[in-house]
Amino acid sequence: MTQTTDRAGPGATASPDTQLAIAVHGLHVRYGDFEAVRGIDLDVRRGEIFALLGTNGAGKTTTLEVLEGFGTRSGGTVAVLGLDPATERAALQVRMGVQLQEGGFVEELTVGETLALWQRLVDRPDRPERLLERFDLRARRDVSVGKLSGGEKRRLDLALAVWGSPELVILDEPTTGLDPESRRRTWDAIQELQEAGRTVVLTTHYLEEAEALADRVAIMHEGRVAVTGTLAEIVAAQPARFSATLPAEIADLPELRGTTQRDGERVQVRTDDLQGDLTTFLSWAAARGVRLPDLRAAPASLADIYHAVRTDQMEVTRP
Amino acid sequence: MTATTTAATVTPVGRVLALATTEVLLILRNKTVAVSSILLPVGLGVFWTFQFSSYGDPARQAVSITLQLAVALAMGIYITATQTLVARRQARVLKRMRTSGLSDRGLLVATLAPSVVLGLLQLAVFAVVNVATGAPMPVDPLPLVLAVLGGLALVVTAALATSVITPTPERSQITTLPLMFVILGVGVVASLAPAEGWWPALMLAPGAAVGDLAQLAMTGGSWTAATAGLPAILPALVATVGWPVLFGTLALRRFRWDPRH
Repeated sequence: MTQTTDRAGPGATASPDTQLAIAVHGLHVRYGDFEAVRGIDLDVRRGEIFALLGTNGAGKTTTLEVLEGFGTRSGGTVAVLGLDPATERAALQVRMGVQLQEGGFVEELTVGETLALWQRLVDRPDRPERLLERFDLRARRDVSVGKLSGGEKRRLDLALAVWGSPELVILDEPTTGLDPESRRRTWDAIQELQEAGRTVVLTTHYLEEAEALADRVAIMHEGRVAVTGTLAEIVAAQPARFSATLPAEIADLPELRGTTQRDGERVQVRTDDLQGDLTTFLSWAAARGVRLPDLRAAPASLADIYHAVRTDQMEVTRP
Repeated sequence: MTATTTAATVTPVGRVLALATTEVLLILRNKTVAVSSILLPVGLGVFWTFQFSSYGDPARQAVSITLQLAVALAMGIYITATQTLVARRQARVLKRMRTSGLSDRGLLVATLAPSVVLGLLQLAVFAVVNVATGAPMPVDPLPLVLAVLGGLALVVTAALATSVITPTPERSQITTLPLMFVILGVGVVASLAPAEGWWPALMLAPGAAVGDLAQLAMTGGSWTAATAGLPAILPALVATVGWPVLFGTLALRRFRWDPRH
């Protein structure tokens, strides 16, 4: 990714690319002495689901706030749907739906009143009835928002974000605190948005969520994007691993391209050449008549990559 | 996902009205807020009217009117507006509303308007009580109108500024106290003070202009030469503009929409 401009403040917009819903280059966000976002590049294509992963404090929500026009950037260029959110938030509001990480409700209002109010505040036409139905809230229409369960609140939150089916939907941890069934239904709703040609950007702690939904992901760590790309690209760029248990009397090991780690009887190999090293290992075992009943081999998982980023085992991509 | 569209046309004014009417509904629905922001100020204001009867003396009536104005402005509007702003910010409602079609200005107007409307209703009740009890009428209504408008500007900008230093709605019961007492106390003293000597310096305190303007409305002499040969109304006019500008500037620089920052 090429950084086009550095240290350009709000008002400096990247050249609009019709294929990109979001183009971020060299984004910095500073709060006093603390730099929450340290020069990140992000491109989100129209119609894709893009997941922003990272630990607490990685800078995900801060990045989203800049995209939404709520955060002030101290450097870099940002274009969302071809607009600069810092200076053109009003135009962006009409085309973008936002789900907050938490709260945002007047708890004394009922679900029906909340949706009716939203109908009078948002420029995208839609009907409360459709959303009550879609998000399974019809029976809770006359219940105060404060009395909803956590899952019901998240569904109402999502209903407000997708009101009028906006071009771009930004979801901040849409399934945090949800039970598996609610999570599944939220995933369905997100996939429906994509099927309707909408662009979705979401943050999540859940790797399985990113794997289930996202076309592309970016993993943030300490204010930087550590790795970005499609899941296949990211996984392919990381070493695969295989492991097996060997009898204690077998002391030697074959020479492999990957890194071999032996812990008692357990042998674990991390390698960029899974097929080659596995073939060598199996041939070596066969020659010694060693059976390998619990042999396991797998490409790198997103969990491996996430762990590597968190433990600083992966070199952070610097802009 | 296919949106079933309805031909909804939402105007900027319509959006502000939608949120403002919802805020009014919430004030009326919340019994504690309703009592503290409506019944208590009205009760106190009416009580003081009878307690400090003017006996037909316009100067004494100026004190009564100042108390009524201070109660409606400080207890009715200032406290309610601050509480509402902080509560909506802490619950991230302000942030949510900024993702709707409301402009930032419209959002603030809608959030603050119900407190202001309720305060004006309280003043209307006081006016009716004053007329009904045969209290003296102002000889010069202009300073009284200025007192109401300037007082509104003062407490609304003060509420915005106070919200900056108020982390929770509960804490607003403490953070609003100093200014509330200053407005009440200084206003009453100013309504009694002559426009001579060092007394105009009292205008340095917020709320004093309200009392001074009430006195000028009841006893006249707004344009009479006072300290340094300047019109008697001038210090109050400067204070009426100055304090809202100061509070407004503070709010503009430091106002937070989101509890996170």
